[in-house]
Order: sequence, then structure tokens, then C-alpha cells
Amino acid sequence: MSDKPNGQVGAPQHAADASEGIANVVAPKADPRDYAAQLPSGNDAGLGADEPVMLHLADFAGRALDALDNVKRRGFDGPIATASTPQLQGKPAKKSKLRLVNRPPRPKRDRHARRKVAFLRYGYYDIAFKFCVEHVLDADFVQLPEPTRRTVELGSANSNDFVCAPFKHILGDYIEALELGADVLVQFTGPCRLGYYGEMQEAILRDMGYEFDMLNFATCAGKPVKEYVAECKRKVNPDMSISAGISGMLTVFKMVECLDAYNDYYLANAGFEVRKGDFARARTEFFETMRAAATRQDVDAAFARGIADMKAIEIDKPASPVRVGLVGEYFTAVDAPSNLHIEDKLLAMRVELARLMNLTNRNLRYNEPNLRASIPEYAAFDDGPTSSLTISAAKKYAQEGFDGIVHMKSSGCTPEIDCMPALQRIGREYGIPMLYLSFDSQTSDTGLDTRLEAFYDMIAMRKAR
Amino acid sequence: MIRADLKGAVPDCADVRTVGIPRALLWWRYGVMWQTFFEQLGRTVVLSGESDASSFERGDALSVDECCLASKLYMGHVEELVRGGACDALFIPSWANEGRFLGFCTKFQALPDIVNNTYYGRRDAPRVLSLLVEAQQTHSFEEDSFVDLGVRLGATKHEARSAYKKATVAQLRADEARRRKQRELVAKVKKMPQAQRPLTILVAAHPYVAHDPMVGKPVVDMLRDMGVCVLFSDACDADRAVKESFEFSPTLPWLVNREIVGSVANMRDEVDGVVVMSSFPCGPDSMTNDAMALRMKGVPMLTLTIDAQSGQAGLETRVESFVDILNYRRKGGYLHER
Repeated sequence: MSDKPNGQVGAPQHAADASEGIANVVAPKADPRDYAAQLPSGNDAGLGADEPVMLHLADFAGRALDALDNVKRRGFDGPIATASTPQLQGKPAKKSKLRLVNRPPRPKRDRHARRKVAFLRYGYYDIAFKFCVEHVLDADFVQLPEPTRRTVELGSANSNDFVCAPFKHILGDYIEALELGADVLVQFTGPCRLGYYGEMQEAILRDMGYEFDMLNFATCAGKPVKEYVAECKRKVNPDMSISAGISGMLTVFKMVECLDAYNDYYLANAGFEVRKGDFARARTEFFETMRAAATRQDVDAAFARGIADMKAIEIDKPASPVRVGLVGEYFTAVDAPSNLHIEDKLLAMRVELARLMNLTNRNLRYNEPNLRASIPEYAAFDDGPTSSLTISAAKKYAQEGFDGIVHMKSSGCTPEIDCMPALQRIGREYGIPMLYLSFDSQTSDTGLDTRLEAFYDMIAMRKAR
Repeated sequence: MIRADLKGAVPDCADVRTVGIPRALLWWRYGVMWQTFFEQLGRTVVLSGESDASSFERGDALSVDECCLASKLYMGHVEELVRGGACDALFIPSWANEGRFLGFCTKFQALPDIVNNTYYGRRDAPRVLSLLVEAQQTHSFEEDSFVDLGVRLGATKHEARSAYKKATVAQLRADEARRRKQRELVAKVKKMPQAQRPLTILVAAHPYVAHDPMVGKPVVDMLRDMGVCVLFSDACDADRAVKESFEFSPTLPWLVNREIVGSVANMRDEVDGVVVMSSFPCGPDSMTNDAMALRMKGVPMLTLTIDAQSGQAGLETRVESFVDILNYRRKGGYLHER
């Protein structure tokens, strides 16, 4: 049940606290081993001469027994049944323990109040997060509004300069969520710096004075599902239903797949709409129905209607449009505010887009060894959390004759930097232009526009030739 | 000549006689083990020279701009070995983790692929000898991977295992010798009379930062020139440090950072100050440096981020003023000169 990686964490702290507490109580008492002071002397007997004889006898018997007991103990060096602490015996006080985040007290099952849960902002997945909170965790979901400049400024102001940009975005999200009344924050984990986001952000937010619980999946990653359930029960809802949770989770997965499939069609066609705004309007509507879904049937129906509506939109797509593949890092490539809405910018230039990087492909259907098997010439090892997906997607786009590939990452993202030699090779070998973009909290919109326009002009001209 | 009794590994690298090892990154941690392993199997080991300005320039030219200083130096060392032409193959392992929350920077996972992709198409592209250490998910443990590598080099399983065992013992001995030396140094300083006792400063950094002449060594030398007794986080008791780090932060993902954080926590009352050094822009350090700064407020701490442009003069000013502050602090403040 312990959520700690090695069994002894926490225990010493507790023991030290307990013994200190006792020390305060017994400190003024005389040393119990000062036997001479405790021998009966008769002078201090509380009995007057006029007391009955029987009482004197009883008093004497009692004192004699005490004295015998003390004499018996004289040769005994072992611990005597009395409280003492290292301080009393002249040893230095134990070093206070350092903890990045102090563990909050466990909630009491019978005093549970319904909790308000907030996730980070991550593209359109807030719809799935909402379903997850309401139907799996059985709690209230804190819906965050669209992020603003203030979000990332809040995040940057409270984090180290050279942590990756997603950390700053998410920290900003959390601050806004706490301002909106959230009392549980959810953080995921991953095999890069993401694995440490949860604890760091919890420490920073607690230092800022916020009170909340952190449902940090880094504490149970790689453990059996029951650990996840235990963590959710501990942090969010002790009365959570397992059976409803499982069916809810399956619906969440279905929902994520539907959202991603919808998005794939959107990216491929939205650039060619005849009336400006048709696709965006249809998508907003689709998101609304999806957000209102309460069952698996609702999800399927919303998806079917959404796709049908989108297919009904009039487009004029050339026989051979300019096609661009988007690859990159887990957060930056997917989350529109983090990549300064690069998809909208490219769609506005009448480009067909494709992006394999999404939750469906990275989490639900991720099979790293198989992905790597498709790129044996570029990767012999698993190079990082999304490396195999990035490289195999780039190779796939190159083989399918795309006109260009845009690689997106947050600045300083080590695993994606390490993909770049492979991507450069793909670019050379297949003769496909690549645009490498690094985003951090200061990246400017205009700078991105210029680079995208230049890239578009280049690939469009190459295509015309 | 492929032997059927071997599971998986085949002696496809038996022709490699000389193995090159770049003197960078994890070499600083596992160098003795790697070298002993190959020597036990009768191979000659060629080590690249100490880092210098030319290794940085060569590495910089081969690396993506955003790589950290230490990994650019790594490519410089690879290039030096490739140009030297004396090695049949380079030993570049993929070192991901040694268990849950005992990981390494993802850079170490990707190194063999980075080198292969960078050199692809060049006539002098090196042959890369590699292995995988990934205990958490694929259960590729260090020992099994080294035994497999030994078999690939043409040794029997038994020979390979015995070579690996000797190699780990050699590494343990070397580590213990460094730890003993540091313990003795601490004991010696403690025995000195208060007035003559030098300042003791703990350098908390990855070994490839603290000891590399192009990264952290100049700072260490500066400290020593100022008469400071310098201790290293990688010469502290590693087991105790890792244990302490689990107390400090249960989900910290990186082993070396655990050792750094844990040794700072363990030593914080015994040293006068801590110098935290990182190579720019180190991913793991970008988070753990913050964690230390948040919780170890009572410890005088100087955080240095070293990149290729760090002027020596700028570093010197910061290190000198830090040492001055510690000296004043020991005397009891700036105002009361005693």
C-alpha cells in the first residue's frame, strides 16, 4: 500500500516526533536511576502518628517492596520502563528531515466532501478529462477557460528559467485552477522531465501558499492498477465505485480515440473550406456535444454526427494539395496555445496537415518496439518518451510523399533534440524539407509567422516545379 | 561461425581488437568498469584525451545547437577517436535506468543512435559497440547486457561473466578509494584548530561536470587556489545519499541527481557552503537545482551554470565573492571585523 519507493521512508520521522513529545512530559522528573533518592526514609512519610497501626503497616510493606524492587534493578543495565530521549542522555538532537513536499494528512472516509478536480490544459482533451473526473472519479470538474498571456506569465514567474516550456504552461494552468476553487490537481508522468513535474509543481504551489491535494501519477507509475485506484481513493474520492470507474475509463479511451479521429479529418480538410469558419464552427459544436456525453452511446452518437456534419461542409481541395506532416514532442506538438496555434496558421495557408502524435497513438495504441521495428536504420534503441513515434512518423510522411515536415518541441527538450540527427538524415535521404521549431514561453507570434510563410513558399515552389 | 548454444547473442563483433571509449559523460562514472571489462576479454582500450577547446569545437560542429555542453564535448571525444583511426569500434552504451526512480538523462539512452545518425554516410563512420541497460520495463540488467556483449565479442558466457564481475569489483574499489580519501580529508580538517581550519565546500555536480577540464574543473581549481578544502558529491557515500534522497523527494527520476541531492542533504551541516554546478542547459538539473534551493535555505549555495561562453573572469568573480561571504560568515558578519 505504501506509495513510497523504499519501505522505510517516513517511519524515522514519526518515531522521532513521538519520542520528542514524551520527552517534554518527563523532562522535569528526577532521573529514575537515582535509586538512593527513592529509598524510603520514613521522615517524609505522609502519615501522622495518630493514624491507625494497620495503615502504618501497609505503608511500611509498600515501601519495603519498592525498595526491594529498586535493589533488584541495581544490577540491571537494560532499558527501564520509562521514557527518555537522546537529548536527555546528552546526545545531539536528530537532524530534522528535509522533504520537498510534506505529506498531507489522510482524509477521513466519513468526513469526505465532494472535491473539485482540475487537470492541466492539453489541447481538446479537457473534454475527456471532464468525463474522467465526473464518471470515473465521481467528483466535480473545474473547467478552465482558454489560456491567456497571463497563464504563461504566472507559470514562468514561478519556475526556473531553463525548465521546459510545458512546465511553465502547466504551472500557470494550476494557479488559475486553484484561483477557480480547485482542491485536487492532477499530473501525469513520463520517462523524461515530465516524471518530476508533479512533485516540483506541488512544492512550488505549496510554497506560494495554496492548499490542495496533488493526484500525481508519478507515485504509482509502473505499479499495478490497484495502486492507481488506491491513490485516486486517497486523494479524490474514498467512495469511488470500481465497476463504474472501469466502464467510465473505457468510455474515456473511446472518447479520446473519437476526438483524435475527428481531429485527423479536421487537419486534413479544414484548410480547403469554401466559406471561412465552417470547420471551426462545426468543431466547436462537436466539442459541445461531446462534452455533454454521459455514456458510451452518447460518445459514439456525437462522433458519428460530428463526422457527418464535417463531411457535409463544402470544400474545394485540389487533386494534389500541399501536404505537411507535424511531428514532435508530446505537449508542444499537440497543445495549440503552446505551439502558438501553428495548425490554424498552416490551415489558413491551404495546407493539408497530418499529425500522428496524439494520445491515441502515444498512449492507447503505443507499441514502442513495433514502431522502432519500422525505423531500424535510424534507431536501435528506445531513445526517449516520444522519439520512436517522432522518427517513424517523419519517415512515414517522407515515404508518403508529403511536401514538408514541421518538427516542434519545447526549447531544451533533450529527447526531441536527440531525434534531430535522425530527422536530418530522413530529410537528406528522402529530399523532404524540414522545419525545426523550438518553443519557449517567449517565442513570438510574428517570428513564427515569418518562418512558416518562408517554409510554405519554399515547399509550394518545390511542388510547382 | 554462429554458435547455436547461445541464446540471443552471437559473436558478431569477435573481430574487434581495439575498443575506443570517449572520455566524457558516463565514462566519469563507469570508466574503470568499462575499461576493465574489455581488458579482461583481451581487448586493447583506447581512451580519448582530456577535454580541451578543440574537443569542444569539434563536438559543437557535430551536434544540434541546443545540446548541452557536456554532450557536445562527448561528440568531440568521439570525433577525436574517429580521426585517430586506432579503434576497431567505439563503446557507446545505451544507459537508461537501473530501476524505478533510478534513471539517467534520456541523452544516455540515445547516444548510440545519435552517433550512428550523425556519422551516417561518412566514410570514416565508426562501428558502434553497444548494449542496453534498462531495468525498469524491459528488464535488461547491467550484468546480462555485459555478458551478452562479451559473447558478441567472442568470449564464452562464463568468461564474459567473470570479466564483468572483475570489472564491477574494480569499479567498486576505485569508488571506495575516492570515498576513503574524501573521508580522510574531512577527518583531517576536523582535527585542525578552529583558527587554521580551511573553508570546506561541497561541489554538487554530475561527475562529468565536476571533473571535466572544459566544464567544472576550472572552478574546482579556483576554489583550491583560494585555500578551500573541496569535497565532491560523487565521492560521498552514495548509498546513504540515495536513501536520503528518497526521504527528500520520492519521485525524483534520476539516479545521479539523487546522489547529488542526497549528499547535499547529508553534508549540509558539515560544510561551510555548497557549489552546485550544471552544464547548460541540463534537463535534470533544471529541476533538482530548484528543488534544493527551495528546501535547503539555510545552506549557503552558489549555483553555477556553465556553458561554452562562460568567461573565466566572470566565474572567478562569482566564486571569489562566494568564498569571501563564507569567510565573513565564519567571522560572524561583515561589520565586526575581528
